[in-house]
Amino acid sequence: MLHEITLTVNGDPYVVAVRSHHTLLQVLREQLGITSPKRGCENGECGACTVIMDGLPVSSCMVLAAEADGANIETAEGLAEEGDLHPLQQAFLDHNAIQCGFCTPGMLMSSKALLDRTPHPSEDEIRHALVGNLCRCTGYVRIVDAVQDVAKES
Amino acid sequence: MATNTPSPVGKSVPRVDGYEKVTGAAKYVDDMAFGPGLLYGRLVLSPIAHGLIKSIDVSEALALPGVKAVVTGQDNPTRLGLYLKDRYIFAYDRVRYVGETVAGVVAISEEIAEHGAELVRVEYEELPTVFDPLAGAQPDAPLIHPDLGSYEVANFIFPEPGTNKSEHFRLRKGNVEAAWARCEAIVEGTYTLPQIQHAPIETHIAVARWDPSGELTVWAASQSPFAQRDLLAQSLGVPHGNVRVISPYIGGGFGGKAGISIEANVALMAKAVQGRPVKVRMTREEEFITTNVRQSLIANYKIGCDADGNLLAMEVAYYFGGGAYNDYGVNIARAAGYSCTGPYDVANVKGDSYCVYTNHPIGSAMRGFGMPEIHWGIEQIMDQLAAHIGMDPAEFRRRNCVRHNDIILTGMTMPNVNLPACIDKVADAIGWDREARPSAPGKHRGKGIAIMWKAPAMPPNPGSSSIVRFNEDASVNVYVGGQEIGQGAFTVAAQMAAEALGVPYEWVKVSANPVDTKYSPYEWQTVASRLTWSMGNAVKAAAEDAREKILETVAAYWDEDLDDLDIKNGVVVSYKSEREQPLKKMVIYGLPNENFEGWQGGPVVGSGKFMPTYVTGLDPETGQGTRAVVHYTVGAQAVDLEVDEDTGAIEILKIASAYDVGKAINPDLVLTQIEGGAVHGMSSAFEGLRFDEKGRPINGSFVDYKIATSLDAPREIHGDIVETPLEDGPWGARGVGEHVMVQTAPAIANALYNATGIRFTDLPLSAEKIFLAMHPDGVELTCELPEVL
Amino acid sequence: MQPFDYYRPDGYKQAFGLLSDPDKTAVAIAGGTDVIPLTRDRHLQPDLVVDIKGLPGMRDLGLNSIEPCCGPGTGECLYVGAAVTMNELARSDVVQGSWPILADAAAAMGNEQIRNRATIGGNIGTASPAADSAPALYVLEACVLVKGLSGDRSIPIDRFFIGPRRHALKRGEIIAGLLVPRLPAGAIGHHEKLSRRKAGDLSIVSVAVLALPSDGHVDWRVALGAVAPTPVRAPQAEAALAKGHDAEHIDLAAAAAYGCSRPIADIRSGVEYRQAMIVNLVRRSVQSVVNRLPQA
Repeated sequence: MLHEITLTVNGDPYVVAVRSHHTLLQVLREQLGITSPKRGCENGECGACTVIMDGLPVSSCMVLAAEADGANIETAEGLAEEGDLHPLQQAFLDHNAIQCGFCTPGMLMSSKALLDRTPHPSEDEIRHALVGNLCRCTGYVRIVDAVQDVAKES
Repeated sequence: MATNTPSPVGKSVPRVDGYEKVTGAAKYVDDMAFGPGLLYGRLVLSPIAHGLIKSIDVSEALALPGVKAVVTGQDNPTRLGLYLKDRYIFAYDRVRYVGETVAGVVAISEEIAEHGAELVRVEYEELPTVFDPLAGAQPDAPLIHPDLGSYEVANFIFPEPGTNKSEHFRLRKGNVEAAWARCEAIVEGTYTLPQIQHAPIETHIAVARWDPSGELTVWAASQSPFAQRDLLAQSLGVPHGNVRVISPYIGGGFGGKAGISIEANVALMAKAVQGRPVKVRMTREEEFITTNVRQSLIANYKIGCDADGNLLAMEVAYYFGGGAYNDYGVNIARAAGYSCTGPYDVANVKGDSYCVYTNHPIGSAMRGFGMPEIHWGIEQIMDQLAAHIGMDPAEFRRRNCVRHNDIILTGMTMPNVNLPACIDKVADAIGWDREARPSAPGKHRGKGIAIMWKAPAMPPNPGSSSIVRFNEDASVNVYVGGQEIGQGAFTVAAQMAAEALGVPYEWVKVSANPVDTKYSPYEWQTVASRLTWSMGNAVKAAAEDAREKILETVAAYWDEDLDDLDIKNGVVVSYKSEREQPLKKMVIYGLPNENFEGWQGGPVVGSGKFMPTYVTGLDPETGQGTRAVVHYTVGAQAVDLEVDEDTGAIEILKIASAYDVGKAINPDLVLTQIEGGAVHGMSSAFEGLRFDEKGRPINGSFVDYKIATSLDAPREIHGDIVETPLEDGPWGARGVGEHVMVQTAPAIANALYNATGIRFTDLPLSAEKIFLAMHPDGVELTCELPEVL
Repeated sequence: MQPFDYYRPDGYKQAFGLLSDPDKTAVAIAGGTDVIPLTRDRHLQPDLVVDIKGLPGMRDLGLNSIEPCCGPGTGECLYVGAAVTMNELARSDVVQGSWPILADAAAAMGNEQIRNRATIGGNIGTASPAADSAPALYVLEACVLVKGLSGDRSIPIDRFFIGPRRHALKRGEIIAGLLVPRLPAGAIGHHEKLSRRKAGDLSIVSVAVLALPSDGHVDWRVALGAVAPTPVRAPQAEAALAKGHDAEHIDLAAAAAYGCSRPIADIRSGVEYRQAMIVNLVRRSVQSVVNRLPQA
């Protein structure tokens, strides 16, 4: 079955025809060319597909595109504004919080959602918020440092 | 942010790939666009662990609308392998593990390919299985590879046809039998570990296109594009020049994306639909069992020391569970053999290292390449021996660890490394001499220490090469064939090129995304923690070549001696005349003669290579040889942890690490490797693939195969860098990417022993295992309430 | 995923119709955190997926005066629409204020991304014996409000779960919401979940303990998850605690809690460990509550 949905992604209004069984992740990547959310497990465990949907971080592999009709989606492509990196992106760079980079977009979106909700989280709160974002490279050290840094500055 | 960093070697300059990765612009294979003509492949996997293929009926699958082709082992019965050619691309006449590829379905969408795969009907005749490497090594065990004797094999691997042993490495040094008599204390133990998986966040993925002209192009997340080109050319009968492997950024490799896994399968599937690209992405569940895993191990140890605590003798037997195909596994067993003592100076050694076929997933290269597997037991048995003679474990290691100029187990002279300094640093960082009290009643606190060594495990002649060229504005492009898997390879390549040329770091771009065998200079493989050293030497040589050419031109132009000239900060300077010549434009256009009577110079291109020339063979009976390996990197780790008496749960409070890297080209990147390695090492102590009695995986997904999350990672990870220069390392540098996780598991086990008095010899650890060991009498239970109530 | 059709019904009647179609396999979806993985793995093979989270009342969360089914009217209780997410539950001021044990249970589930989609209706609708919200709902003596073609009905929570992944709904019925009775003043609770990792994992054992002080004595409610074919209350433990809550009685209660559960070995834990953890977690949870009881 085909559904016509409207989807605002990083401020841009899209109208897309989506199939019932396609996930938001599939539609973002394959129909809209927004490739920063990644396929990692497609089971809601790894968080590589995390996007912010109507203000909340979700695993886009666990959302049917049809369910996202009318939603406002934020991905890593939309974090920088007019060439200026978002403070989180800059902090990730400054702290060397990136290695292979595959988990990075999901980490950024989960971190942004956390700071939007809790501007000054404790280390515990940061680590809890990132439980659903697996990283095999960094050991999470610099990622937590980067989020704490931005929380302190704001 | 700095815009002009001269002499960047030794400085923690920002990563060259950071910006792309934080903005979501970095493209991995799954992000690459191939247009609406892209076809999708799905692999049909064996549901049984061992059996003959009686028939494969693909008619139903082919009849499904949208399915374009189905490929089976019959379509290309050629075996492939780097060291031991024991594997068909698709199973030919039998399957040897649950998850083995039996067929490939190509269709116009992923879901049709998935449905098509379900319609492929395979009939099997089950064969007896082998799951235990010790049992598999017995003479009466069912044979998994009856044709082992006919397989092509590298001349340094020694399979035993008629058995399941694909490799037997022998190490004989001194006389262990005589040495036991002189030992004051002897301890023996058996240590085991299961298979674990790399679990990179990006699963294996490849796209292949086989043009009707006969050109094969493969886009793969690959640590080994050139090795893959070689293996594809050999196994598919295509000339090397017609095979092109392209690999962009990799979302985590850890050795799993080294060598070859599904790429040949995808190539064959593409051949069946000539001209159209075919994409196969492993699902997470397929990733766990079909691609590669780390081998399992049963290790027997016997070690002895004199009354002063000097190690006198060591006898080991390693039975690696190599899985169904042992191409990489045989080299791991070999590497474990020639390093089988761990980083210790022992005069008398008897070591036997076996790779044994089992009906389990393919045991292959994983971060550490045999070293984590053997150090699990080595580092604990050393603690046991130290305790036996009443010596502090750190002191025992200071006394017995390898030092510069020791003659190590293969007869090689130990290169210059400083392991005692590493031990001192971690002992200091963890507060080794300070008693640490538990944080609450019901908690048990303990500290443990472990050391390691590892050499790059390579054939004797693995080469690196590099090209350096300029743009008009004197920005530099460095070409390498080494891959960025997150370790920072591109960044250090840029640093080294900049330093060797004499230009600022910011002028250098690394042209290796993607690595493309059509354009990139040859690089053996991105494995073995070898790039900083080997690729670095090639980059340095290429940059120096370019520098030399520039200076020759300017020397002629100025009529000065080459030796009086230098390039500093992108400008050629003369120490004699103090003249200056910027590099801009002259690196392309050259310099005009006086009165423009002709020109000299021209486009500057530097090239360089590096290949070690000094590695020798080893005697097959004794493992002795002049130079077994290129070098060793050494390091130490210490762990501080607490155990909860009520649940058995471990809290890792702190991990302290120190590694001798020779020269930290980028110190902060070394520290990030240390941090990531500590957590990966810690996680590996709690991981294990589990199978039922029929060899079927029962925890092959993130639901039940848990890797460390942000909450599990220790809050304190401390790293120290020791720098004892490597003789032939660029600026003295050695690799460290694997070493950082080699000894974490035994360090944890040693700390557990310190906390609980219990020695855990079998991985994985778990709260359940620890609790039950701490409470052997169980916990009081009742189903009836007593009368008193 | 293999193809299916997706419908968003505009009313309950249309939803019932879609869900009880005799010729099609229909599955209700709210958060999707069970339906999507199960469909992807081919455990579920629906022809159609019916999105019920937008139906009237599904997302309501707040105080309500509907008489609860499991006792005489006690004034305002908590109404939780079936499509309220676990994070909404965990972060609600009303729930944190008056039913904190339910907020804690919701917060212990999965990870942040999952909790933003997973719903309380889905959590009990999947009917896993390890359902994260269940032990808390059991000690709160909640009841499940169900809507169906034959009308509305309510089911006490401890009769909703009837076996592993089996619940008391009839075909075509939908969980509309839960009613959680108001607790007497001074109620103190504790929720604890033990899993292989600190978070993001299914339970090995989960425990909910509620103490209701009244007239100089304390009524106790203890419930366990992941230790029996359904979540269970622990009446022997409650009986032991009714006689006292000093160390000796707490030990007896902890030991007795095991008695009403039938732990099995599964991929997360062997039997022996699970048994021991029931005892230790109940002891710890009761002690935690006792430590917060006002001194006599």
